[in-house]
Amino acid sequence: MSLLTALDRKHSVAPEGYSRWLIPPAALAVHLCIGQVYATSVYKNSFIKHFDASQTSIGIIFSIAIVMLGLSAAVGGTWVEANGPRKAMFVSACFWATGFLVGALGIGTNQLWLVYLGYGVIGGIGLGIGYISPVSTLIKWFPDRPGLATGLAIMGFGGGALIASPLSRQLLSAYDPDYNSKVATSVADGRALVLLFITLGIGYFVIMMFGVANIRVPAPGWKPAGWDPSTVATKSLVTTASVSAANAIRTRSFWLLWIVLFCNVTAGIGILEQASPMIQDFFRDNGVSSVSVAAAGGFVGVLSLFNMAGRFVWSSTSDLLGRKPIYMLYLGVGMVTYLLLALVGDAATALFVVLAGVILSFYGGGFATVPAYLRDLFGTFQVGAIHGRLLTAWSAAGVAGPLIINGFLDAEGKPGTLTSSAYQPALFTMVGVLAIGFIANLLIRPVPERYHEPAGTLTPLEKEAAA
Amino acid sequence: MNTQSIRLVVSWLLVAILLGYGIVQTVITAAKLFE
Repeated sequence: MSLLTALDRKHSVAPEGYSRWLIPPAALAVHLCIGQVYATSVYKNSFIKHFDASQTSIGIIFSIAIVMLGLSAAVGGTWVEANGPRKAMFVSACFWATGFLVGALGIGTNQLWLVYLGYGVIGGIGLGIGYISPVSTLIKWFPDRPGLATGLAIMGFGGGALIASPLSRQLLSAYDPDYNSKVATSVADGRALVLLFITLGIGYFVIMMFGVANIRVPAPGWKPAGWDPSTVATKSLVTTASVSAANAIRTRSFWLLWIVLFCNVTAGIGILEQASPMIQDFFRDNGVSSVSVAAAGGFVGVLSLFNMAGRFVWSSTSDLLGRKPIYMLYLGVGMVTYLLLALVGDAATALFVVLAGVILSFYGGGFATVPAYLRDLFGTFQVGAIHGRLLTAWSAAGVAGPLIINGFLDAEGKPGTLTSSAYQPALFTMVGVLAIGFIANLLIRPVPERYHEPAGTLTPLEKEAAA
Repeated sequence: MNTQSIRLVVSWLLVAILLGYGIVQTVITAAKLFE
């Protein structure tokens, strides 16, 4: 039996008595690794110096990876559903680690295109497959608490950046004694970057193998002890029917949810992308900011913590409140928070930090709750593949969010001279974006019966079991 | 302790170490905001 066959869905069925609490750490093992993609700014300046390239040329590496994430999640979702989480995680680990190694080759040989191909394209495929690989499995293991389960995993994606940022700085300091991570202008040499990429590639591969070793799919018909499936159907918007990925994208509810995710992510990225200069600009008087560069870096750290905590806390809360009400909270309270930020955000630093933190917690919560929302609307049948298709909203928001905020700021003046009032047009626009998402969420209805799979349709696992 | 219990402990310990490291390092950075 070949290695990949051994990782098939049919060979991944959990034996009787297998603890479902082994599944969240397996999912986290993958998400904590691929979350590194949000820590690329740590070595950005070193890349610029090493390749003697522009900010844009280096920024493209991250953009390619995020676009490949969206594309591979959308295209590979059905493959992940058919082949199971174990094979998907293994493939993801291979792509992610290979991406780093090819990237290291690119750095070592001074070939930037190899970094685009390695980290951007190959690593980006690992990102997309890895992001969706454990989601439907978690939902099947935790039918009673899907929000908690997916919140735990997707919290890991936020946590991945928290780990990779300081780790990369420390590794670069170890590999290049002249590099001082405490000095903003200090850059590491090419040798240190090569060694960093090799270390991360091998390290992440090993950690992701923990996930591959522990992930299992529940046996057909398995349910948690003491849980009654009929209680699910009594909640509004929650279906026990099955909708295929092909049919899901033909429904109005899918596209309304696409708009909801797009608006929520666009609003969050608006702050995330501009966080460090934003806090300095809000507290600038007579051309001098009262917030130092180091304090602004601290603010980015605070936002990362809110982003990560929001993923777990809000997604878990959605199991109690329901998915539609929790998105009304994200988008409705988000609108009020953005408005307050625009109008009174410059009154005190603590107020600014709290308001931005709340917005970022809703941003994270929106990501983590969406798989459970999809489960409610379309059932568990192909929820992973549907999730993959929905993530194209993330890619689109990744372009729209920065465009909105940078477009307005460019019109207001040069970086380093802006004040809080310069941000008002962009922030008011974000209130409008959130209002569109709020309305879209209100319009979401249960999926019409004509899109449901015929009764008795088997899941891929059940088909294999029957065969 | 059976095999499954060991797997549970090792898996969650790995997650706790990784996340713990990230959170502590980020809190140290975030503290500069309030200095």
